[in-house]
Amino acid sequence: MGEQSQPIAYVLRGSTTGFVCGTRVNRLGATAFGRFVRVTVAEGGETVLGLIYGIRIDDDPLVRQLVLAEDVPESTVNDQRVNRMVPVEISVLNVGYRDGRGLHHSLPPRPPLSLHLVFMCDDAEVIAFTRELSFFRLVLNAPDVPSEDLLAAALGVAADVRESDARMQFLIDAGRELARLLNHDPRRLENILRLIKPEEVSHE
Amino acid sequence: MNKAEAENLDEWFPRGPLVPDEATKPARGETPIRLGVVVGGSLSRGLAVRMELGTPIEEMAVGRYVVIRGRDKRFFGMITDISLESSNPQIQVSPPDFSDPFMAKVYSGTATYGVLHVAPMLVIEEDGTARPVKTVPSHFTDVFAATADDVNAVFGQEDEVHFHVGSPIELEDTRVNLNLSRLVERSVGIFGKSGTGKSYLTRILISGIIEKNAAVNLIFDMHNDYGWEVINELGRRDKGLKQLFDDRVLIFTLDRESSERRNVRVDGEIRLSLREIEPEDLAMLRLTLDLSDSMVDTAYALHRHWGDEWIIKALSATPDEIEDLLERLNVHTGSLSALRRRLERFRRFPFIHSDRPDDSLNRLIAAIEAEKSVVLEFGRYGNALEAYILVANYLTRRIHDMYVEKMERSLGDRSMQPPQLLITIEEAHKFLDPQIARQTIFGTIAREMRKYNVTLLVVDQRPSAIDEEVMSQIGTRITALLDNERDIQAVLTGISGASSLREVLARLETKQQAIIMGHAVPMPVVIRPRDWGLDFYRALGYVEGEALKEKADEARRDLGGEGGPRRL
Repeated sequence: MGEQSQPIAYVLRGSTTGFVCGTRVNRLGATAFGRFVRVTVAEGGETVLGLIYGIRIDDDPLVRQLVLAEDVPESTVNDQRVNRMVPVEISVLNVGYRDGRGLHHSLPPRPPLSLHLVFMCDDAEVIAFTRELSFFRLVLNAPDVPSEDLLAAALGVAADVRESDARMQFLIDAGRELARLLNHDPRRLENILRLIKPEEVSHE
Repeated sequence: MNKAEAENLDEWFPRGPLVPDEATKPARGETPIRLGVVVGGSLSRGLAVRMELGTPIEEMAVGRYVVIRGRDKRFFGMITDISLESSNPQIQVSPPDFSDPFMAKVYSGTATYGVLHVAPMLVIEEDGTARPVKTVPSHFTDVFAATADDVNAVFGQEDEVHFHVGSPIELEDTRVNLNLSRLVERSVGIFGKSGTGKSYLTRILISGIIEKNAAVNLIFDMHNDYGWEVINELGRRDKGLKQLFDDRVLIFTLDRESSERRNVRVDGEIRLSLREIEPEDLAMLRLTLDLSDSMVDTAYALHRHWGDEWIIKALSATPDEIEDLLERLNVHTGSLSALRRRLERFRRFPFIHSDRPDDSLNRLIAAIEAEKSVVLEFGRYGNALEAYILVANYLTRRIHDMYVEKMERSLGDRSMQPPQLLITIEEAHKFLDPQIARQTIFGTIAREMRKYNVTLLVVDQRPSAIDEEVMSQIGTRITALLDNERDIQAVLTGISGASSLREVLARLETKQQAIIMGHAVPMPVVIRPRDWGLDFYRALGYVEGEALKEKADEARRDLGGEGGPRRL
């Protein structure tokens, strides 16, 4: 809970379809590909919900020099990793928002602004948001996003935060929603289904 | 719909809510099972219903009823076909791994799914009145399996004209009640290939007709299936009509010896005089006896020449008399001698004699006039088709004459009208073959329909061999399994929505299933007929004490008291 109530990053740049936020390496913590994050755009206004689809670590001039240096002490390497000149960039795909009327599984009306705080969604938020699966469409249609892997990872997260007896049904429902959305593309469907398939499936 | 039609329907479907009242409603409230939604189709081709996720396709069956609950109306339909579809043809080319339960669960009902083809049969309006279907429900209307209440609402309750004949398949608690007065006002056909239970169905139907006084019956009982008792497939003795209705049914026989051997209480024996046989009776036998046109013409010439005694004289004529005859009547030698050879066959039957006619036939006709149903047993002669046809034709001709006369007399006084008469004939295609149907009395009856209060109940395994015009006059058709394409075609001719019933008809069980369609039912229905047993006897008012005794006897027999079931 403590981890989820702490901001993980600040928004660097954004649009209504997604945003990029920057953070320090030691704040990365629970961030991972396919996890849900939220940004409150305005107090009392919308909270944008998104999926992490990319974590990018850029180089800086000092790192470039260190790469060429010999026998760099480990303390220097660690220092460089933590106290970088440029932030770690986390790319987020917007998949919904929450306002006074409730949860919406569509693009937010306004993008988050620079330096808005980004938080990880807690389990309850993930469960509430994934109770409806219409955000699949936004993921599958997003350009320049590894949509199949992203959706599979997000579904893995959403399944894990559920009670163990509800996981299987959630994944089956998700699979069926995908089968409806991807009926024009059976190969893509099969690919995602393979990725989300639980290891052990009851044979009832 | 014109006014007359509307009134007709009102008579059949009483106005007012169709939902059964509280007293008759089954105690347990049934929740309808949702099967899917309408996704397409048309009135003529039937509706396509995409099956609901999780509805097991293997549990569906053609012939079952569904209810489509539209916004204001309920549509009644029958499942006529079931197909497997997939949202993308690519799936058929490289099927997903269905051995994985997860994959199987995801794909079934989404990318691959079942489609029910449903023929709309009836529409129930907002106010509860049922009408023939003239439109279809809109897209994505919910489709449910019909519940017992739904079906009961359509087929009504058993009353003085409605008789419980069986239950729709998969709805054992539901009763299909036939409107018998509608049934008998037009001819009825009971079809099915051999061994599918035609006689069984006929027996149930006739029991109902006698019980509800819907008509007087004359049954030409080819194989002794109706009168006193019949040994069923399990070797048990089933009661015949006489045992159930006692003095309302009389048994006449052509073969007293056979009847006595079977311990049948016979009310009269029928003997036929050669003097009573007319050339028209021979014309009926044209196919059975292989008579040519010129032989039939010769018969008419002999009848004109000799009158009633034409057969006796023809058979006993000396060569000189024949010579003389050939000259005077201008008939062909070959035809005459061939005709004589055919007539000679009649002498083989002990019930045909050359004496003056006795009153046995009059007694049978008097029984019908007295509104008693008559079973005419053929004993051992049931297998001799010429005997069956000859007797049936001869008797029917006499009775028909009587009815025509009575009906004409009753034109001035309705109270004189004779009771509705239903004549049951087996192997009906031998009587109603296209080559002879136009000239014979059975063809006439089938065509004249209710004008003279005489209708036919034809029992047959080859409906395709029956004259088309006659078939078109058969109001209600009750059909057990038929597998010959032409027979199926013949039975369905003239039935609305017939093409969709084809699959249902071809897939009936070999026993204990029949589809009823036409005049006497609001919509076609596949039924499992009632069991012919103690419950049925009791429902017909059979005395309880005797029923109990019968049960005791049966138990004793089952225990081996009499050395197992006996056969005739």
